[in-house]
Amino acid sequence: MSTKKFSFQRYRDMILGIFLLALGIFYTVFAQQIKTRPKLTPSYAGARVFPTLLGILLIILSVCMIFQSIRKMKTMQVSDSKKMSKVDLFSILLTFAAMVLYIIILPYLGFIISTIIFLFGQITILAPKEKRNYLLFAIVAVVFTIIAFIAFRIGLSQLLPRGPIEALIGY
Amino acid sequence: MSVGSLIAGGFGTVLTPTGIFLMFVGVAVGIVFGALPGLSATMAIALFLPVTYAMASSDAMTLLMALFIGAISGGLISAILLRIPGTPSSVATCFDGHPLVAKGQAAKALGVGVVFSFLGTIFSTVLLMFLAPQIAKVAINFGPYEFFSIAVFSLTMIATLSSGNMVKGITAGVLGFMFSTIGTDAIESTQRFTFGSTNLKSGFDMLAVMVGLFAVGEIIAAAETSHHKNEEVVTQPSMKGIKGFGFTMKEFTSQLWNALRSGLIGMGIGILPGIGGGTSNMLAYTVAKNSDKHPEEFGKGRIDGVVASETANNATIGGAMVPLLTLGIPGDTTTAMLLGALTLHNLNPGPLLFETQASVVYGIFAAMLISSVIMLFMEFFGLRVFVKLLSIPKYILLPCIFVLCVIGAYNLKNNMSQVIACIMFGVIGFAFKKFEIPSTPFILGFILGPLAEQNYRRGLMRTNGSFVPFLTSPISAVFLGIALFVILLAATKPLRQKRKAQKQAS
Repeated sequence: MSTKKFSFQRYRDMILGIFLLALGIFYTVFAQQIKTRPKLTPSYAGARVFPTLLGILLIILSVCMIFQSIRKMKTMQVSDSKKMSKVDLFSILLTFAAMVLYIIILPYLGFIISTIIFLFGQITILAPKEKRNYLLFAIVAVVFTIIAFIAFRIGLSQLLPRGPIEALIGY
Repeated sequence: MSVGSLIAGGFGTVLTPTGIFLMFVGVAVGIVFGALPGLSATMAIALFLPVTYAMASSDAMTLLMALFIGAISGGLISAILLRIPGTPSSVATCFDGHPLVAKGQAAKALGVGVVFSFLGTIFSTVLLMFLAPQIAKVAINFGPYEFFSIAVFSLTMIATLSSGNMVKGITAGVLGFMFSTIGTDAIESTQRFTFGSTNLKSGFDMLAVMVGLFAVGEIIAAAETSHHKNEEVVTQPSMKGIKGFGFTMKEFTSQLWNALRSGLIGMGIGILPGIGGGTSNMLAYTVAKNSDKHPEEFGKGRIDGVVASETANNATIGGAMVPLLTLGIPGDTTTAMLLGALTLHNLNPGPLLFETQASVVYGIFAAMLISSVIMLFMEFFGLRVFVKLLSIPKYILLPCIFVLCVIGAYNLKNNMSQVIACIMFGVIGFAFKKFEIPSTPFILGFILGPLAEQNYRRGLMRTNGSFVPFLTSPISAVFLGIALFVILLAATKPLRQKRKAQKQAS
């Protein structure tokens, strides 16, 4: 019986090796297109030398990795503990989505509004269902945002993304 | 200036009202970061970097050193009370620390851990103060050949030693090196891998990469399990009827030889690149166990185990500062962070630092000494508070830490570009975890790569293309030789193991 998670563990290093092989080829090809100035710097000390070497090295390493994974695949036993549940995957995707959303709204809504929304949302995503105390989460979100704003913007006079509230209070 | 006046000057720089305040804050926050599993010294320094942007460079370094010392020591609290090491540096502290708690000797275990953490830091700092200026004197004559070879040596050590799988370790180092080539080439000033983007022209910022990889990556990884129910039982140690630090003078003197040996192991491991506190505490523990008359008693609650582990991990701090300050070469992620902090404040660590910025260097030494005294008392008498903090749920802590990462990244250029880079490296850090690629070689490849490349090319231009001077300069030759030896040793390991197995079979 094979599930999707099962096959990820089994083919993990294979997938990684193939990805790195592609990256190595891509990098080596683009390294040849770096513009050099042979009159200024001799070619043995040029800007292409290291990128070319690194690209070739990565190709060799990825091939080693693919061979290692083939050899390991025959003997490997996947333990149940390493399997990722659907809930876990969902929680990672939601966390990542919240982070991305946060940095998208930051320049428009400013630090204060965006951070309060983000903190409330992210804490709710991460908290176990039976521990969801929305009032507490809201208080944490507001209080932490205000403290961070006062500490960094006023105390340390550093710039933070500005939005309507910041404009209103003149920071 | 004589060494005495330099040291006095160092204390003068640090012992200002601001300096003392910063050290108290740094040690306290450091202990919390060390004690909380999943948060590390590297993360503590990453998060506090933005706080130091506006500070004077000496104040900034004072705060960061206090954080470093607090965080390495703080790991012992959770190692002893929860049996979960707060940082990799305290793994071996669990072995005997928790059995002592089970025997009802929590106060003794903590007292021993705290006192020997303190002694380990002091010991290594004093050694550092004597060693570093001497090394700097030699290193000031280093040219491109030596710096190239030292960078190559450090990279090989890190890539081969920092993980169980050598192919993955080297791959991580190569990937970090590759990321460092993106941007404008420092020698020919041509564009490399920028694909016409102006944002990529200046390359990736070291701090954005590190904050992303170590802080954001950790947060994404923690999201995977944060909603699991796991109630950790924290033992509140009873302090009633405890005199002093909870152990007798006789117990103390019986540990001195063990402490000295562990301190030297910690210091030595710290100086070598690639193997930091995570290894030194295990090694010191193993040595203490094997050289004891009753090794079978280890793991059942011997204070020797706590002493070995905690002396060694704190002594690693002083050791790790040696290559950082004298050569500008970080040996692990925490010192890589400190390198970022130094460059941010326009201080270029390396032999010249001892001549041009001696006051900052000696200020760092003084901050290390005073911070360890603060750590000694704060950790022992403030223990109840730190234990309380262990119960702050991760689902509240991690989002708040992420906000601090964003503030720090935003402040690097005062726009969103580094914030985006930071999240991108967070995803890379998470992928590294899933594919079991070590991230330490990546970050050091990213930092040491340019050092190796630029010095190689400068060296070749000086010799009109001949590689010979790299091999005839004695220091350069030694480092290249060791690097080659380490690679051969690691590459033939599977072969030698096979042969050994065959021998045993027959």
